[in-house]
Amino acid sequence: MPSAHQVIFCIVNAGFSDAVMDAAKKYGARGGTVIRARGTAGGDSERRYKITVSPEKEIVMILVNVRITDDILHAIYREVGLETDGQGIAFAVPVDQVVGLHQSHKSEQQPDPDGKEEEKT
Amino acid sequence: MQSNNRSAPARQKARHPAGVDSAPVRLKLLFVIIARGKAEFFSDLLQSFSVNLQMSVGAQGTANTDMLRLLGLSDSDKAVLVAVIREDRAAEALSLLDEKFRTIKGGKGIAYTVPMDSVIGVAIYRFLADLDA
Repeated sequence: MPSAHQVIFCIVNAGFSDAVMDAAKKYGARGGTVIRARGTAGGDSERRYKITVSPEKEIVMILVNVRITDDILHAIYREVGLETDGQGIAFAVPVDQVVGLHQSHKSEQQPDPDGKEEEKT
Repeated sequence: MQSNNRSAPARQKARHPAGVDSAPVRLKLLFVIIARGKAEFFSDLLQSFSVNLQMSVGAQGTANTDMLRLLGLSDSDKAVLVAVIREDRAAEALSLLDEKFRTIKGGKGIAYTVPMDSVIGVAIYRFLADLDA
């Protein structure tokens, strides 16, 4: 049975994770997790696509209800997509089973690991 | 014909610990997002579910903690555990994780599984699935 949730991975230039979350929150996401990373594109790719690739990246993971996945992906594309300074790439991955979500917000939110109303993972 | 012989080991059915021939055990990626200070605890917990490979990555929560940070109360440091787990142990592991999230002080978090499609190499597969050599 397909799960009601998907996890959105968004890879952006360092410093743009807040912009990703701002875009996602407009459509119902409540929290995400940011991992620092390093991009490896460069050289040929930069010349071919006429872009500059900053190696410092952030990966934002956002667990969302499948109903709002497309809206969030579109919002991310508009606000931090490849045409913007954020140079973001986003994709959604299906999730089988989820635990740890608040019952009251299970449809659209991530939990509050610290027990604070606005705190997210 | 030669290529068939070469690929035979790769198509060999995995054997369950009980020794019964059956379809290979499917694998999943298990993501666990918890407070960084609890990473070791949850990592140890996962090892009891036939998890032979797991990675721990430092991460940050994205909560709006500006005011809390000013007050020195924020704790947005997280750890993401990424583990490879057998499909038949995943539900059991998630159930225990859920219990620990709810009962351990400061242990709240999220866990979810993502299906894995392919693995290359029989030895790697057997290691990941924790099958007897």
